[in-house]
Amino acid sequence: MTAFKRIDKQSHIDRTKLISFQFDGKMTNGFAGDTLASALLANGKTLLGRSFKYHRPRGIIGAGIEEPNALFTTGIGGRTEPNTISTTAELKSGITAKSQNAWPSLNFDLMAVNQLLSPLFGAGFYYKTFMGPFKKSWMMYEPIIRKAAGLGAALPDLDTARYDMRYMFCDVLVIGSGPAGLAAAVTAARTGARVVLAEQDFEFGGSILSSGSEELERWRKTQIAELEKSSEVRLLKRTTAQGIYDDNLVVLNHTPESHSALMITEQLRARTIIMATGAIERPLVFANNDRPGVMLASALRTYLNRFSVAPKKRAVIVTNNDSAYATAFDLAEHDVAVTVAEHRSALSGDLLAKAAQLGIAIFPSCGISDVVGEKQMRAVRLSGRHAVTIECDVLGMSGGWSPAVHLTSHGGIKPKFDEKIAAFIPGGFAKSHFGAGAVKGTFGLLAAIREGEVAARAALPECKKIKELDLPAIREDRKYSIQPIWNAAEKANEKYAFVDFQNDVTVKDIRGAHQEGYLSVEHLKRYTTLGMGTDQGKTSNINALAMMADLRGLAMSQAGTTTFRPPYSPITVGAIAGRTVAAHFRPKRLSPLHDWHVNNGATFIEAGLWMRAWYYNWAGNTPEAAYIKEMELVRQNVGIADVSTLGKIDVQGPDAAEFLNRVYVNGFAKLPVGRARYGVMLNDDGVVLDDGTTSRINDTQFYMTTTTAQAGEVMSWLEYLLQMHWTDLDVHVTSLTDQWGGMAVSGPNSRRALQLAFPEIDITNEALPYLGVMDFKFEGVGVRVLRLSFSGELAYEVHCSADYTTALWEHILNAAAPLGIKPYGLEALASLRIEKGHVAGADLDHRNTLDDLGLGKMAGKDKAYIGKELRFREDCQAPERWSLVGIECMEDGAKLRGGAILFAATDEIKGHGRGYITSVTWSTELNKYIALALYNGGMKHEGKEIICAFPLKNENVKARIVSPHFIDKQGERLHA
Amino acid sequence: MLKRISALASAVSFNGNDLSISESPDFALTQYAGAEKELKKALGKIPARVGVILEHDGRIQLRTNPAQIWLIGEPIEAEACISTPLSSSRTRIALQGKNTRVVLAKLCAIDFHPKQFKADMFVQTAIHHTPALIHCFGADDFHIYAMRTFALSVWEAVTDAALEFSA
Repeated sequence: MTAFKRIDKQSHIDRTKLISFQFDGKMTNGFAGDTLASALLANGKTLLGRSFKYHRPRGIIGAGIEEPNALFTTGIGGRTEPNTISTTAELKSGITAKSQNAWPSLNFDLMAVNQLLSPLFGAGFYYKTFMGPFKKSWMMYEPIIRKAAGLGAALPDLDTARYDMRYMFCDVLVIGSGPAGLAAAVTAARTGARVVLAEQDFEFGGSILSSGSEELERWRKTQIAELEKSSEVRLLKRTTAQGIYDDNLVVLNHTPESHSALMITEQLRARTIIMATGAIERPLVFANNDRPGVMLASALRTYLNRFSVAPKKRAVIVTNNDSAYATAFDLAEHDVAVTVAEHRSALSGDLLAKAAQLGIAIFPSCGISDVVGEKQMRAVRLSGRHAVTIECDVLGMSGGWSPAVHLTSHGGIKPKFDEKIAAFIPGGFAKSHFGAGAVKGTFGLLAAIREGEVAARAALPECKKIKELDLPAIREDRKYSIQPIWNAAEKANEKYAFVDFQNDVTVKDIRGAHQEGYLSVEHLKRYTTLGMGTDQGKTSNINALAMMADLRGLAMSQAGTTTFRPPYSPITVGAIAGRTVAAHFRPKRLSPLHDWHVNNGATFIEAGLWMRAWYYNWAGNTPEAAYIKEMELVRQNVGIADVSTLGKIDVQGPDAAEFLNRVYVNGFAKLPVGRARYGVMLNDDGVVLDDGTTSRINDTQFYMTTTTAQAGEVMSWLEYLLQMHWTDLDVHVTSLTDQWGGMAVSGPNSRRALQLAFPEIDITNEALPYLGVMDFKFEGVGVRVLRLSFSGELAYEVHCSADYTTALWEHILNAAAPLGIKPYGLEALASLRIEKGHVAGADLDHRNTLDDLGLGKMAGKDKAYIGKELRFREDCQAPERWSLVGIECMEDGAKLRGGAILFAATDEIKGHGRGYITSVTWSTELNKYIALALYNGGMKHEGKEIICAFPLKNENVKARIVSPHFIDKQGERLHA
Repeated sequence: MLKRISALASAVSFNGNDLSISESPDFALTQYAGAEKELKKALGKIPARVGVILEHDGRIQLRTNPAQIWLIGEPIEAEACISTPLSSSRTRIALQGKNTRVVLAKLCAIDFHPKQFKADMFVQTAIHHTPALIHCFGADDFHIYAMRTFALSVWEAVTDAALEFSA
């Protein structure tokens, strides 16, 4: 019966540090240095999970990252982590671990009934079974299936852990700290290079930790001590290299021992990379090879030598290669009775001699026919000519070793099959990438050390000058010998012979996939789910690929592998997000007046990255109520609005006027100093890019404003034109969006307000007419006043350095307080311009031509400008283009809505209609809802009745097409 | 005189373990643009190439691109080239102490190893998705020039990255 015990043996656990933890509600103890898995084994816990589909009892298979079965949910509340790999989880005080996928308990799992239905549950049964009886049946079945099967569940609780991230650089990154990795790191470090040694385990040493060799342990400690003394070496335990990307960017996930963050994601740029990622032992495939107590032979050795956990009395080892004898010998030396079922017919003399010396019985030319026991194994039945049943505590299996080629393939280099070791090895290494040790199929320990040193010398030319590495005093490596055995299951038992333990894929499933025509390894994967899940087929893939190759009559090299992609092992989503969560998710862009708005009752709205004052509580507590009052303020008196978000660009140079003349459709060459002009620019497709005003400050300097939304794009466009097309123009452009703040003072009393604020400045209509610009100093600060109007009222924009914008804003508010000036927000600002018929971001969809917006007449006929030629393409001049119109609501009590689809009154309300509403507002002047819209044929339909359909609310509202200029069509207010 | 109000008026200085973060206000920044010979004529000595700093007459010049120089310090009347005052456009954050390089490494993909990023070097990069210029002005002393409108977000990103060094 499966049983383990903690033995009195020197190992890597610290018996002076007792650690208590909880498993399935019961307190248990282990030692510092244990993994969760080793502590559970030491406590006799061998039934540790239920399988994905059939809910078969499962125990621990491996001792590392490859573990497919012993996955737990650890932590509680917001720190809950599903699918924690117990074989790599360092035992820490207070860990709470729960088994997964079993109800009500591991021992008595009701869903184990699935085992009875297993004949129905073969690969692909989901796709065949749950397609009917009606069209969307899958949607009904899916949640039930998900609940019945699967791994651990992600909880809805907010993850309370902190995850950090950083960008680092080094000369040499060594991935893996086994013999090859340590040798490479020490060699590189001796040059004084910046070396990073990344190890996924919480101890450096790799396979040395499992060796039980005192000499190797001495050598390991010596190397680590030397590395620790090197100031340019970073030693990263608990660190997994998850992916290698272009230009040697490697993503590392590091779990620090002591840090404010649970995990750190590191983007490391390495000049060179040495991969010493080792190899993973693979299982053998036979009936009931998934029973608790059936483990990888190397895992048994690890638990024995690293954690002092041994099978209680008897172990059987089944193997097709020499490496499993290290386990057999070590177990035998610790009073475990060992029997070896050897697939090969002949063994080398040294192994036979040592086995005889240790009393190990070897049964050649046989494997395992079946495993006896369900929740715990009790015995194994040998296959072949020695068809005997042997009682035992554990079965250690070794089907050979698979080099961990995952990372070597991320750059697109496919692995190649090496017949000599019956395994895939790297198909090559990219420039500045190197490999050493088992990852290259070099399974000897001394050879691995030598390869590590060679790799470092190849990676760093500086290594030529440094002395050779000391080797551990151990005997020379044995030659690795293997006879590939991919499927040892008897035909009748194939449905119980597991290839992929995590996804319950059996030999029968692979045969089924072949019969159904899913022959490619990629199709096999998707049809059977082989190689999916948290382990990504680390133990299963190669056996399955070999079986499929055999069924197809192909060589392994022809069958190939599935594609290796990052990440190498599961990453919690929090580690990917890092610090960019909650308030740090994205930056916020704040106007210089932001704090004032906060302190004075503004409600904010996001406009791109900008936080803009939407409305103020003096006017109401809802946007619907507030913006109407704010509009009335501007129409009847005077209001002040923050327009600092407008793009502002300094255009300077002797050729600045010529430059602008080419950029804008209308003329700027002769714009007088002290005057502003509204301008529209097209892109080179003849489509409207942006509009705004540009003022001439002096002969060679202009001050351009753009829309808030297009500020960045316009700046880039101007830079592009100057650097790529018009290098002959002597012009320099600089963004002033952050340098200058701005405010719009609007309304019939705006001039009076500014006169109160700046009594010494003449801003009469004569001194500052419509589209006039004036610079002056106020209290030592430069102020620029532009007589512009977005609202349609008499209005000014007042700009000054951002650092003084708040003070100037407060000064104007205070000075004009007797008039009743108040702030108004973005909603009112946008509504006022709709009444006036000014287009803005909402109306510009990057498909509009100048003529679509009714601005065609602005364009200069005799001058060249960007987009001129393509503007006159036939399609751009088509009469049925969606063009700007005004719309007024014809139904009392009805509302127009942004995005409403427009139909002619006689149309059937169906499909995409003839246009849509781009901007809408309640008009305080007209007492009705009005809108701007793009409509097929545009103003050709003026006066016609239309239907504004808003299917989301099932509304169809009658409206009329009118001029987009709803108020002051003659512009009398602007010029007042 | 109108009151100057910083973008970081609401920010509280960070004083942690071997790390302090604070606003470094009251600097004058002027951009000079023009061809090489125009820049030389206007400013006298100029940095030899982009990324290089020149300290001259109590001012610091940072060559931000082949045709642009940022001048930190009292502006120079320069008719030979184009000048644009930018003092309000950037907010300057000072990081000082042994742990500055650790924090900076969390913010942008620049190699801040002391042998690589030394005093009197600067780099134009991005912090928290926004443009930033980082100037090393001492062994472990740095200035970040952040865009004013993003300054608070950058400040929050920097101080959040520094959390592990909280006192």
